[in-house]
Amino acid sequence: MFKSGIFNIFLTLLIQIKGDDFKEEIFIKPLPPSHLYVDFHFITLVNGEESFEHSYLAPRSLGEIMSRYQVDELHLTLTEGQWKHNQWGYPVLDAAPGAELYAWFNTDVIDVDIQWKKLSSTLSGLFCASLNFIETFNTITPKMSLWPTGAQKPKQNYTSQLRYASLPREIVCTENLTPWKKLLPCESTHGFSSLLNSRMIHNTNYHSIGVHVRRMCVDNNCLETNLEIKQTVALVYDFKIINSMDWSFRKLFGQGLPGACPLSSSSKIYVDTTSNSTYRFKLTPEPNLILLSQRGGSETELAVYNINNSIMMNIVAKYETKSKLFVNIPPPLSFTRYVLGYGKEFGGIVTELTNNYWAPIDVVLLENAPWWLPIQLSSLRVNGEAESKLILSQYYSPGRSRQKPYHLELLLHLPPKSTTTLTIDFEFVFLKWQEYPPDANHGFYIGSALISANLPTAKNYTSLPITGNTFDSIVNASKPWYPMVFRTNGAMVSLPTPDFSMPYNVICLACTVVALAFGPLNNICTKELVLKAPGTSISLRQKILNMFKKKKD
Amino acid sequence: MALILKYFVAGLVRYWLIHTDYWQTISNRVEIATPLNSWKRLIEGIYLYDHGIDPYEGDSFHESPIVLVFFHFMLKKVPYLLPLIFTLMDILTAHILYKTSKAFVLILEESQEKIKQNIAKESKTMLLNKSQLNEAPDYVLSVYLFNPYSVLNCVGMTSTVIQNLLVSVSLWGAASGQRLLACTFIALATHQALYPILLVVPISILLANVNKGCNKCSYNRTLLIFVLCWSFLIYISAYIMNGSYSYFYNTYGFILTVPDLKPNIGLFWYFFTEMFEHFRLLFVCAFQINALALYVVPLTLRFHKEPVLLATVLIALSTIFRSYPCVGDVGFYLAFLPLWKHLFTFMQQKFIVGCAFIITSVLGPTVWHLWIYSGSANANFFFGVTLSFATAQIFLITDLLFAYIKREFTLKHGSSRQIDGKPAKLVLR
Repeated sequence: MFKSGIFNIFLTLLIQIKGDDFKEEIFIKPLPPSHLYVDFHFITLVNGEESFEHSYLAPRSLGEIMSRYQVDELHLTLTEGQWKHNQWGYPVLDAAPGAELYAWFNTDVIDVDIQWKKLSSTLSGLFCASLNFIETFNTITPKMSLWPTGAQKPKQNYTSQLRYASLPREIVCTENLTPWKKLLPCESTHGFSSLLNSRMIHNTNYHSIGVHVRRMCVDNNCLETNLEIKQTVALVYDFKIINSMDWSFRKLFGQGLPGACPLSSSSKIYVDTTSNSTYRFKLTPEPNLILLSQRGGSETELAVYNINNSIMMNIVAKYETKSKLFVNIPPPLSFTRYVLGYGKEFGGIVTELTNNYWAPIDVVLLENAPWWLPIQLSSLRVNGEAESKLILSQYYSPGRSRQKPYHLELLLHLPPKSTTTLTIDFEFVFLKWQEYPPDANHGFYIGSALISANLPTAKNYTSLPITGNTFDSIVNASKPWYPMVFRTNGAMVSLPTPDFSMPYNVICLACTVVALAFGPLNNICTKELVLKAPGTSISLRQKILNMFKKKKD
Repeated sequence: MALILKYFVAGLVRYWLIHTDYWQTISNRVEIATPLNSWKRLIEGIYLYDHGIDPYEGDSFHESPIVLVFFHFMLKKVPYLLPLIFTLMDILTAHILYKTSKAFVLILEESQEKIKQNIAKESKTMLLNKSQLNEAPDYVLSVYLFNPYSVLNCVGMTSTVIQNLLVSVSLWGAASGQRLLACTFIALATHQALYPILLVVPISILLANVNKGCNKCSYNRTLLIFVLCWSFLIYISAYIMNGSYSYFYNTYGFILTVPDLKPNIGLFWYFFTEMFEHFRLLFVCAFQINALALYVVPLTLRFHKEPVLLATVLIALSTIFRSYPCVGDVGFYLAFLPLWKHLFTFMQQKFIVGCAFIITSVLGPTVWHLWIYSGSANANFFFGVTLSFATAQIFLITDLLFAYIKREFTLKHGSSRQIDGKPAKLVLR
């Protein structure tokens, strides 16, 4: 105990000198009546150092990727399940189902596409995910919906350095979580990350692991920048699965919290107790601190636990009333997406955006249809109108089969208290038989649409302000608007399939029909008609000639 | 009077069908609209062009830039007139076919005059008389106007309507000896769909025959004018697209490499769906050579004395073997068949072919519905139907050619099938 204490002090000192800083946080928010949102944040701040020849707390593997491929900002999420914005409000960071990767490359990079391919392949190896399936045909460059969150040099064209791809079919499992945990300074032996055991966290309604890397200013002058590596895990537990409304660390993670990571400068647990006024629950042990935050017209109460020892602890919440009717107040902006049509010939995608707020909201909607789902821009209708005044700006890049996806971005003006419905038609494509994935009749996943909005109110808003990196920063962080990038739900279509057992038969039959034309036409063109008695014997000379003819064939 | 009534009724049927609720269904049918000619894709291309997006950047538009600007102009100025324009174009095609077949009949008569000396005495009755020849154009007109294939093609407002018009004008120009007209229009048709390039051969023969004189000079002149026209059109198209030749990949490239495997009535779609990737190039080349080059030379050598027959057969073969055929193409070459009414007595498979046409036309939409909408059939059913449709067409064409050479033989040697009083058989040697 003593030895390890000295070791810790020594290590902490070393790190203080170096300037690397590691923080861990858990944010817990009950989503009454039926769910619980748990969000882990592990933040590593790296001072200065560009090349990552030496690294202290930051994972060298990730740092090397950033410096080798000259990536300025990187966001990778691996998600299973669908966040229900209508019921659960907004998450800290939204993620698309499956794998999602986007990155800004340094403005010095000339051939971004090559670096992008290298980056995705390397990350694929690092996280054991199928990111190597990111090709030009599923990559887009969003023009309006995504902006870098980190420090940027002024007057540089960042949009052209951005690449975005999502793989909605990707299944997220233990093999992605293990390498992810290896990037943490304490790995999974100490600290909050020891709670993340895959048996429990894959038993949730929604789980999303992510890595977000960006450059942050050291001070307001921004002459120096830090590299911020943020690793996140978002989990949504269903009370039905854990069998009661009362939750505890032991129930959620299968074990208590063994204490803080010795390398961390701060380890805090925040429990959102705002819903305590309607759904009373009691936290044990008592929190160290109660924070009251007023932000953009909403009040939040946070119970804070400061963990700085390594004593096993278990935070428990006990609800007083079990059966109570719950009125769901929808968030300011909500949306759904679904596929129209029957049969496998023509269809349509509908995106419904609802503005529940009393003021208009401007949003950017990014529709990203794969090449095998050709959308027709001429069929775009906003509330049934072809030329709508709600579209303020539009960008469209048509897709090309096997080369480029269809990419549509719309800047929309959503009037207050209204629902805006966008429909766009598509035609099903008939693929080659070898292009179908295994189990072709399972269906094809369509990725989520991105909705990027500057919300005028912070109702249901839990994200950190753009300059903050810990949960402290949300306290009283009122701003004129609150930026957020949402992902709608994905969809699935069933493409028409050929008969996979037929290639030889089809090739033979089609060639036979061609031969049916060739044979007679050849005869007509090369031979002449003669009269011949059926019984007459052919002359010897003719017989020999015929034999030669046959041999020649 | 009867003629005007025919035009009127046919036009009315087309115009009325475009304005019924079934128009949408008809214009989306796979048998009628292919990725190459569908109205929907034309609209999408015009929409993109109108919004300042290059329609050839994407994969949805495959018409030539000339068609694009033409319809862009039409849609801006007179969108309500488009159904009428399509109807009128189809009626005009019918009328030009009528005039063409009148010219063709004259050519047939002339060639009959030439061989009169060599005809066997007993076959003299088989020679075509005036009334037989004169009723052929009426049949051609009726077949084009009332053939359900051509009617549906026009109702679907496909660009095949334009292509049929261009081809018929160039044939008419050739038959009446107007070289510039014939060459310009065949170049326009080639620019739109590539396959009409085959018709340059019968057109140059026709032109040489009609404008008597040096045959070789005539061929050269025709070829030269055609090439000049075609290159001019290619240049104009690039000029429309601001000097970019990227439309090439989306028009000719699309026709030749067959990237879109949406089912149609042709042979390509399922064949290349099921093709092994490393053999794809080989078979694409083989199939395109089969459609574009294989039959031109032998058929020309064999039938150079009958350019009309050569034209009919080449149109038909290129329809059967092209990468994106539609019923509009079939309807077009079927209209030429009544010119060969005198061969029908020598054809052996009329009944089979007729039945096959009817059965496949009914079965096609049925199995398509079963496959795509009810999910109770699979792709093989529709493939089977398209395969038998192609077989029926091939039988029709080969049978027509056999009938021609049989008639030729009979005219020369008389109708008795006997050698020295013993029964004998006609065989190919």
